Order: sequence, then C-alpha cells, then structure tokens
Amino acid sequence: MNKRRPYVRPMDGWWRRNPFFVEYMIHEGTALFVAAYAGILLNGLLHLSRGEAAWNVWLEGLKNPLYIAFHVLALVAISYHTYTWFKIMPRTMPPVIVGGKRLPDGAITGGGLAVAAAASLVLLLAVWGMAR
Amino acid sequence: MESFKADVVIVGGGGAGLRAAIAVAESDPTLKIALVSKVYPMRSHTVAAEGGSAGVKLPTDSLEYHFNDTVGGGDWLCEQDVVEYFVAHCNEELTQLEHWGCPWSRTPDGHVNVRAFGGMKIERTWFAADKTGFHMLHTLFQTSIKYPSIKRFDEHFCVDLVVANGRVQGVVAIEIGSGEFTFVEGRSVVIATGGAGRVFRENTNGGVVTGDGMALAYRHGVPLRDMEFVQYHPTCMPGTGLLFTEACRGEGGFLVNKDGYRYLQDYGLGPAEPSPRNKAMELGPRDRLSQAFWYEQQKGRTIEGQHGSVVHLDLRHLGEAKLRERLPQIYELAEQFLGVDPARAPIPVRPAVHYTMGGIMVDGLCASPLPGLYAAGECSSVGIHGANRLGSNSLSELCVFGKVAGVEAARFAKAVAPGDSASLLKQAQVVEQRVLGLKLKTGGNERIATLRKEMAQTMEDGCGIYRLAETMQKTCDKLDELKERFKQVNVEDKSSVWNTEWLLAIELEYQLDVAQSMAYSALNRRESRGAHQRLDGFEKRDDENFLQHSQAHYVAGGAPRIDYGPVKITKSKPGTRAYGAAGEKAEQERKASNV
Amino acid sequence: MSENQRTIEIEVLRYHPEKDKVPYQQVFQVPFTDDMSVLQGVQYIKDYLDGSLSFRWSCRMAICGSCGMMINGEPSLSCETFLRDYYPARVRVEALAHFPIERDLVINMEGFIEKLESIQPYIIPKEKRTLEQGEYLQTPEQLNAYEQFSSCINCMLCYAACPQFGLNPEFIGPGAMALLHRYNVDSRDGGKAERMELVASEEGVFHCTAVGYCSEVCPKHVDPANAVNQNKTNAAADYFLRFLAPKGGAK
Repeated sequence: MNKRRPYVRPMDGWWRRNPFFVEYMIHEGTALFVAAYAGILLNGLLHLSRGEAAWNVWLEGLKNPLYIAFHVLALVAISYHTYTWFKIMPRTMPPVIVGGKRLPDGAITGGGLAVAAAASLVLLLAVWGMAR
Repeated sequence: MESFKADVVIVGGGGAGLRAAIAVAESDPTLKIALVSKVYPMRSHTVAAEGGSAGVKLPTDSLEYHFNDTVGGGDWLCEQDVVEYFVAHCNEELTQLEHWGCPWSRTPDGHVNVRAFGGMKIERTWFAADKTGFHMLHTLFQTSIKYPSIKRFDEHFCVDLVVANGRVQGVVAIEIGSGEFTFVEGRSVVIATGGAGRVFRENTNGGVVTGDGMALAYRHGVPLRDMEFVQYHPTCMPGTGLLFTEACRGEGGFLVNKDGYRYLQDYGLGPAEPSPRNKAMELGPRDRLSQAFWYEQQKGRTIEGQHGSVVHLDLRHLGEAKLRERLPQIYELAEQFLGVDPARAPIPVRPAVHYTMGGIMVDGLCASPLPGLYAAGECSSVGIHGANRLGSNSLSELCVFGKVAGVEAARFAKAVAPGDSASLLKQAQVVEQRVLGLKLKTGGNERIATLRKEMAQTMEDGCGIYRLAETMQKTCDKLDELKERFKQVNVEDKSSVWNTEWLLAIELEYQLDVAQSMAYSALNRRESRGAHQRLDGFEKRDDENFLQHSQAHYVAGGAPRIDYGPVKITKSKPGTRAYGAAGEKAEQERKASNV
Repeated sequence: MSENQRTIEIEVLRYHPEKDKVPYQQVFQVPFTDDMSVLQGVQYIKDYLDGSLSFRWSCRMAICGSCGMMINGEPSLSCETFLRDYYPARVRVEALAHFPIERDLVINMEGFIEKLESIQPYIIPKEKRTLEQGEYLQTPEQLNAYEQFSSCINCMLCYAACPQFGLNPEFIGPGAMALLHRYNVDSRDGGKAERMELVASEEGVFHCTAVGYCSEVCPKHVDPANAVNQNKTNAAADYFLRFLAPKGGAK
C-alpha cells in the first residue's frame, strides 16, 4: 500500500532553461561550421586532383558573394567555437603544477587562445609569403 | 507492517553509529546489522564538526596529560577509568580512520599534523583543514559500504524501542518516503542519535539534533545522566548560531571586546601574550570563555548588534594565505553569511549552545542499565566529559566508543537467544497505532512551531550560561505547561508520503522530555561546576554534596525524578580548576604535593 | 525583529503524490530580513503558512548537503542563498532538476546513492599496513592531488546541472565520478584498475559532453567536470595501452 508516486519532469526544451545551456548549444552548433568548412576544403582537394582546369573552376566559385558571406560567417562561428573550446579546457585536463602551485584556469584558457592566435598568424604569414 | 530481522540494530547514522556498525561487521561478519537513520548518513550532524579530533601524537605529549586535561576540564565529574581507556585508544582510532582514507592535514614530511585546542596542554588535535567532522563522517560512511552485512535503513525515523522479557529486542521506525512502519528486530540495539542542542534557541546544531535517542531510552526507564551540563561554544554567528571553530583560536586568533581589548586576561586566563599559550587566554576551555563573555556583556563592554551583543574574533593577523589553508570553511562562512572578510575585518561572535555533555547513562562498555541497549556518542553519557567537554574530544569519542558499543552489542547479540518474533511484532503494532494516532487525531489547536519556539526560549532563559533558581523554576513550570499543551498539538497534514509535519511533532515530544531532564537536573544541582554556573548563593563547587552524577528518571505524565550516582575517581583527586598563569602555578603545586 | 523587515514573494513548486497528478506553483508572502536565507524563507512557510510543505534540510551551513533546490532555475544550496539578492522580485523555488520529485521540494536520491555505492568509495590499500605501524605517509602535495575531490558533500547540485544525466539517468554523473577519482588519485589507494571498468562502461564517462555547468554550480569547488574529463583520457589510455602492454591496463 505504498503511496509513493515520484514525478519525473519532462526534459523537453531543456537547453532553453538556462543561459549556460544556451551557450553550450551555440558552442555545439558552431562545430557544424567547422565541419562544413572541412567539407569545402575537401571539395577543393577533389578539384585539385582533377587537374588545373577543375581547380580554377573551384577557385572562381569561391569568389561568389554568397560564398564570401559564408566565409565571414564561418570565421565568426569558428572563432567563437575556439574561444569556448579553450574556456572549457581547464576542466578537461589534469592540474598543471608550476613551481609547486596550480596554474589558474584563466592562464590555461588565455594560453590556449594565445597559441591558437599565434598559430593562425604564422600560417597566414606563411601562405602570404608563398603567394608572393 | 514490514519487519526485518537483524542481529544488531543501530539507531543513528552519524560518526558513532557508523563506527559501531563497522565494529559489529568486523567482529563477526555473520551478524546482520540494521543501521536505522532518519537522514542519509552523510547528512548526520557529525558533518558539521570543524576543528579536529584529539589523540596523543607528539613525543612531548603523554596519555597522562590528555587524561589530566580531560578530567580537569570536566571539573572532576568524569569517570576516570573511562577517561583512561579513552585517551589510550584515541590515537589508534584516528590512525584507523587514516587507513580508511580520512584526508588528515599533514606535516611537510607526510605525517599527520596536529593543532592546538582549548584546554589542551599539548597540541594533539588531528584535523582535516576545518572540515574534520565532514571528512570523518564521509570516510566512515564510504568505508561502511564495504561491508555487505550492514543493511541501511536510510530516512527511517525511529519512534520506539521494543522491550520484552526485560531486554530490548528491536525498534519501530517510519519509512519517511512512504509513511509506512517497519519493525526492525534485533537482539541488541545501539543508540547513536547525537545530542539535543535544538531544544535551545540559539545553537550551532543542525535541524536533526533533537535528542530522539535520549528520549527513547529515557521513556523506557534508562536514566539520563548529567543533563544540566550543556555547553555554550563561545564563538558563534549572531542570529543563526553557526559555529566558528575553536581552531580559529588554535591557529592564533584573538577575542576582543568593543575597545579592542583581549578581555579574557581579566578572568583568570592571562597573561595576554602575542600568540595564545596552551591552556591560557583564547585557548582556555569553552565554559570559561562563554562565562567571560557574559561578564563583559554585564559590564557593557560588548558591541551591540542586530542579534544581540557580540565580541570580536580577530583573525586578521594570521593573514589571508594561512586562513585559506587552515580555515577555508570559516573564511567562506564569514564572507557569505556575514559579508565579512576575516583577513581584513574581525568577525562578530557570541556564545551559542553547542553540545550536550550528558546523555543516556552507560558504563565504560557503553551498556545502559536496560539489557541489550547500548549508546555511544553525544547521546550517551559514558563519562568522559564531566561538567564541561574539551573541544576535539567528542570526535574521538565517536570512534573510540562507537567501536566499543559495536563490539559489545555484537557480543550481547550472540549471547542471548532470539526473541519471539510474532509477539514482538504485535508489540510493534501497538506502537504503530499510537504514533499514527498523533497524526490522525483531530481538534487540536496548538501549532508545532509555537510550542517549539516557546520551549527553546524558556530553555535559553532558564538554563543559559548563568542560572538562578527562580528562572530555572520558571523554565521547569513552562516545560510542564508545554507538555500539557502538546496534548492539543495539531498536525494538519494527514498524508503518508514525506509527512515532515508529523515527524516534527514526534521530534518536539522527544525534545520536551529531554528539555525537562535538563531543567530539573539543573534546578536540583545546588552548586556551580563546569558549564553549570549559578548566581543564587551556589557560586562555588561543592564536592561534599555534588561530586556526583545527576540522574534524571522519566516519570510518565509528571516531572522527572532526580537522584544521584557516584563518580569514579581513580588517580586525580578533585583540585582547583585554573588556567593561564594561575593554572601553571596550581599544576606545580599539585606536583610538589604529590612528591 | 529588525525594523527593516520587508515582504518577499516565494513561489514554490508543489507536488503531493497522494493528491496531485502534476506539480503546480504556489505563491507565499514571506516577511524577511536581510540576513535570511531562502531556506529560512521556506522554513517560515512551513512554520506559519503551510505545515504541509516538505523539504530536506539540516546543518544550515552548507556542509550537510541536504537543502539543494532550484532557485530561480539555478541549482543552489538554499541555506547559503539569500532572499535579499532577489528582492523585490519574486523568488522561484523548485525541487532539484533531473531527479524524480517525491513530494514538493524532496527528490528521490536513491539512484545517486546506488551510484555512490557502485564506485567502491573506500581505500583499497596499495600496501597493507597495521595500526601498530602508524599512519601512511602522505605529503601535503599528495594530499593536494585528491583533496579537492574529497570535498564533495553529495548535494547533487551537479546532477541538477547536468543535462546528460537528465536525458539518461543511468549516467554515473559528475558527483560520483569526482569521488571515484578522489580514491584513484589517493597515494594510499591501489584500486584504480578495479574502478576503471565502471569508468569506461555504458554508464561511464563517455556520456559526458563537457557542458561544464556541473563545476559552475558546485558549492565546494570540487570541479567534478574535471574528474569526469580526466577519466575520459584515462579510460582511452587504458583501452589503447592494453594492446601495447598486455599487463599494463585494466583487465
């Protein structure tokens, strides 16, 4: 004659319940742009393998204003993804001990972002140098 | 009604109950153990103990010192043979906890570290930052999971003992989640339900600390011993009563009045030195410090706050780094609850009720006069605290006597024949009907909260730091009145699942019984000793008439009957209880006279 | 009482299994002072307005772990959340998210307890030691490696913050993983291999998608997300090391 009847609340729309979850979903959503851009690059590679003519067609296609707009959008999304990725990084790794003290979360996130920025810059310079 | 057949039943899932359960399991794995607790074990109030647990550790220390500190601290109302057993087993038990994983704070070379505590001659308080009770409780709870013979009845509220053929043979409990009753049969029962501080208004205790086990034993004729000795902790948060551990002073904190003056030097605790010397000033015992506060208040040297007078606990000179390392919880409590940064401002504090020295009368083997019934921890009076407990002795007590109670209860269970389950169950069903009656009866007009508040207020008025016959008498009368009014208590909620209003009513009835035992014991002790201080012509200790334990006996429908029992004195004759420079002088004199 | 007493509205999610099909909101007018916690507000309701309101509480000082609730949608300990921070707006109180509601603010925590019991939350000694031999030596650095994870008060706020647990209640979840990790990295413990199986299992760490909110809401700075994610690495390493060093990894 047990009168217990635990009530299970539905999970529908859970990600709208808290700003933290919304941010998480945006983070996850921006990963689609990373995937999409990888698709674009792969497509370029495919064209390259079919010879110079095909490659030029692909390059011409990139000049389409819609494509350029997509690139800008992808840059913003991927930058945001990078930022949130490094923000969560301290939570995913063993503590880093420097001089007997634990490295604070901010330093790990900041360090990660700095390395990402520097790597992007080096790559950009290298490509720019090769193009000249 | 459900029933469960155990060999040993343990009521209470705090430090003592868990330690007892493990002791039974280790002493004989074939014994079935029922651990009945009204909360999940890790919610028990052991969790809130902060400062540490005593056990002789340093080469400069000795069992004799710990013995002397404890007996003197208890104003010679201790069972000295029991204290001797206690001090001899603290270290072993705390080491056992270490082996079970307790994260004791360490010295740089990896040994367990110890800190200074009030009334202790040498540093001997083992600590885990300022969350010692929390870590001990979780260590014991998690370790208990290892033993398959321990069957837990979490969130089961014990409403009565079942006594038959002159011995206890089980308990009746309500499963809180369903409101259904269970009879837990056992050949012996250990009560480990903790103290009763919630009968007072301003206290450091959690909501669960309502003296349940004391009342259960008491109603079955077991005396409650030394109940008038209620400890006021000197450094608590105004309003809520939340605790700022004695370790604040153990680490070097000061107590100052409104003029910034370390007032304890005016009360025989000096001299005031830059860092408190053991057994002096801020490292004096709790009763003396709370009493000094009272005098400061009389002299108008306290600070008036929203929740009454306060003094200042000044930790600023210890620096933020040390505070964060040694007292992290205190730091956060001060910041979050008071908006005070203890590295930059003093913390306002005042005394609040903290601990019940007395409890269920048991002998050195934790056995009560009722065969088969054992008790350990704050609910018990095994005799080590006397008239005033020293800080950090209670956590050690949980382990040392939790184990003793477990071993003895196991031994008893094996020695007696099983009871007649059918007739015991019938008895349990009578209990069920009685307890259901409290919930289902109609027409009552008294609110639980009102009765509870009036009880807590009258206890504070009559049984506070200083006591007078007139106000104690008023408290006794008031409690009699409240017990009468309780008959008209109204439990609005008639339902079964998680009916906490019903549980509150049962707890209140427990509390009223325990409060009565305290007030009447206090009124009858016509002397001043330890935490029981009178201002009405009985200001002195009176060894001739009152070097005795008071024993409160339950009288149904009336006031308790108080009588007295002998105190076991073995090697420490009652002497002058002094601290600070005076204490050192007294000790030298004692030594000289012994030679 | 204080002269600056005001009145705040507390909206409570009520549910009584013997009467209600689904939970509903009820609003109470509660007089409060600046130092009153949400818990004290809820206690006021029980004492003076509606004795049938059910909730768990005990220590009042954020160490017993009983009084977790959703306060304005955030998992919080009600004893250390203050009414003044919400006034003059209404404060919404609800049972911890993702757990079944037994009644009002009381959740069913049996699942959590089973998880806690399943992780072998006790020292499995690396080397046996008798009491006569005294304590195990453990340097402050070794203590530091696990102390944070041993600070879990089992309040389950992290579970109420974890959507993956909400979607799949079988997931071992942040709190229990923090405790598992606490024992694995204790210098006295040698039971890591025994616990690894659970870490990598169906209910194990790989349910976690690194939302990270569990660590945000933890009132004791345990950082359970860190424990979960370190163990993803450990489980993966364990899996691959089996091929490299047959005697190295678990099983």
